[in-house]
Amino acid sequence: MIRVLIVCSWGMSTSLLVDSMLEAAQKRGYELFVEALSAGEYAARVEECDVVLIAPQIRHLRKSIEKLAVATGKPVALIEPFHYATMNGEAVLEQVLRLFASAQEGTTRP
Amino acid sequence: MTNFVERSSDWFERYLVPPLGGLASSVYLQAIRDAFIIFTLPLIIAGSVFLVLANPPVPALAALIAPYQTDILVPYQLSFGLMAVFLAFGVAYSLAQYRRTEPVQPGILAMVLFLVASMPVRDLNTLQLGAILPYLGGQGLLVAILIGILTTEVMRWFRGSRFTIRLPKSVPRNVTRAFEALVPTLLLISLVWGVEWFVSSFTYVDGNTTQQMTIPFLFMQVFKPLVAVQDSYPAALLEIVLMMLLWSVGIHGMNVVTAIAAPFWFSILASNAASAHPTGIVTEPFFHIFAHLGGSGATWPLVIYMLRSRSAQLRTVGKVALGPAIFNINEPVTFGVPMVLNPIMMIPFVMAPVTIVTINYICFATGLVHVPVVLQPFTVPVGISGFVATGGDIRGSLLQFFDLGVSALIYYPFFKAWERILVAREEAASAAEEKETPAQAQAVVR
Repeated sequence: MIRVLIVCSWGMSTSLLVDSMLEAAQKRGYELFVEALSAGEYAARVEECDVVLIAPQIRHLRKSIEKLAVATGKPVALIEPFHYATMNGEAVLEQVLRLFASAQEGTTRP
Repeated sequence: MTNFVERSSDWFERYLVPPLGGLASSVYLQAIRDAFIIFTLPLIIAGSVFLVLANPPVPALAALIAPYQTDILVPYQLSFGLMAVFLAFGVAYSLAQYRRTEPVQPGILAMVLFLVASMPVRDLNTLQLGAILPYLGGQGLLVAILIGILTTEVMRWFRGSRFTIRLPKSVPRNVTRAFEALVPTLLLISLVWGVEWFVSSFTYVDGNTTQQMTIPFLFMQVFKPLVAVQDSYPAALLEIVLMMLLWSVGIHGMNVVTAIAAPFWFSILASNAASAHPTGIVTEPFFHIFAHLGGSGATWPLVIYMLRSRSAQLRTVGKVALGPAIFNINEPVTFGVPMVLNPIMMIPFVMAPVTIVTINYICFATGLVHVPVVLQPFTVPVGISGFVATGGDIRGSLLQFFDLGVSALIYYPFFKAWERILVAREEAASAAEEKETPAQAQAVVR
């Protein structure tokens, strides 16, 4: 089970991406938990996840989000804007898997 | 041309993103924004339902309901009408989340402090609820925000300081936490009560009764000019331009501007809701319902253009964007066309909403269309939302459709120009691919 938090602003558009990611995960047989939340909720609940993703419309908060993720040892990355735009769940799932694997190995840190 | 697009997008990234991003990443603004959206918006929307029921748009129904009107308004008064109380909780709670401290304690305390600040210091048994009710809602928002911030910051400071009650390590953590909070709680309550006691020793005349002043009353007197300034065309123009500039560099503009302007929008909306002849124009629905048709930037017509575009990229994005556009969500457009950091599309992305806001302001100010009085989720489709927002004025829907036409005209030439660039790029890419294929095949063999 991989738990993913997507930090975004209203959670409206991101919920579309979440659905698409879950569908892609099911197809490939991964157990995935994804939740979209605001930067404040993220700060309160970062410990509960394995991977942190940042939605492109809050790119300006990237530094503070990354700082907290690094401090709590969570892999973090920005979602590619075009993948976000086309609600490409498969591509974003791929990104999650890469981040998760790199964190497991403990080799790369953002 | 492609070169120009890339160079100017670099320039925007370097000079426009940092200052706008700085404004948008203020923790206080984010906490205020979260508090409005998570804690008060659902209550305002639910309360609005009762407001609509009490004031049906059909005269025959209105006459039927007239005897029960005040009764139907009770749920509205105790939800929408008390929004400042819940906002105080929300701001303290959200800020505590950003500060990574326990959020419920400051939330509850902020609510108590806001009540202390709003009640004149006197025998409360003889206090008339009606005299203070407006200051627990739309007129008390600024005080609620300040108290929310103050509560969380003071409690956080005490938690780390030596002025806190310390208990031995063997005491359970929850017990310790309650004691830790005691000193700042008593201090803050005494402080706010002391100030309120002083303030309520002064009186003012309201109609033919004499009332004691309260902190929210005093604040509204000071900020009244600012509320009036915010409800003007120049302010509306400034807000929409700021929103769209932020979105142009990929930052959620509506969010940032909401954090700053929401206290004013909702105080005006509350006075609109409470008035028989409302006149306030620049409110939340003015932007969300009447300007951002199909999403920020009024991009509805653009989605239609994209569906039949000659560019594969635009067609792909258009297909994904159609469903969300119905519900006024347009991140697929913003990041897929993209509008963000795109020197060509940024022009109509700002110009279309600016033109629409101008037309709408004129229509509302001249009484051509009833001013917005009802708040609804921004996801209500265009056409329906204009009717509901105006309290049942069909001209509200007509105005939305007219605005869509305006947006379609403004976007068309820019869409065509951008499409030409993309088609050229796509053709160049496929030509290059054909050339590269043998080389790649060789590489694989090796």
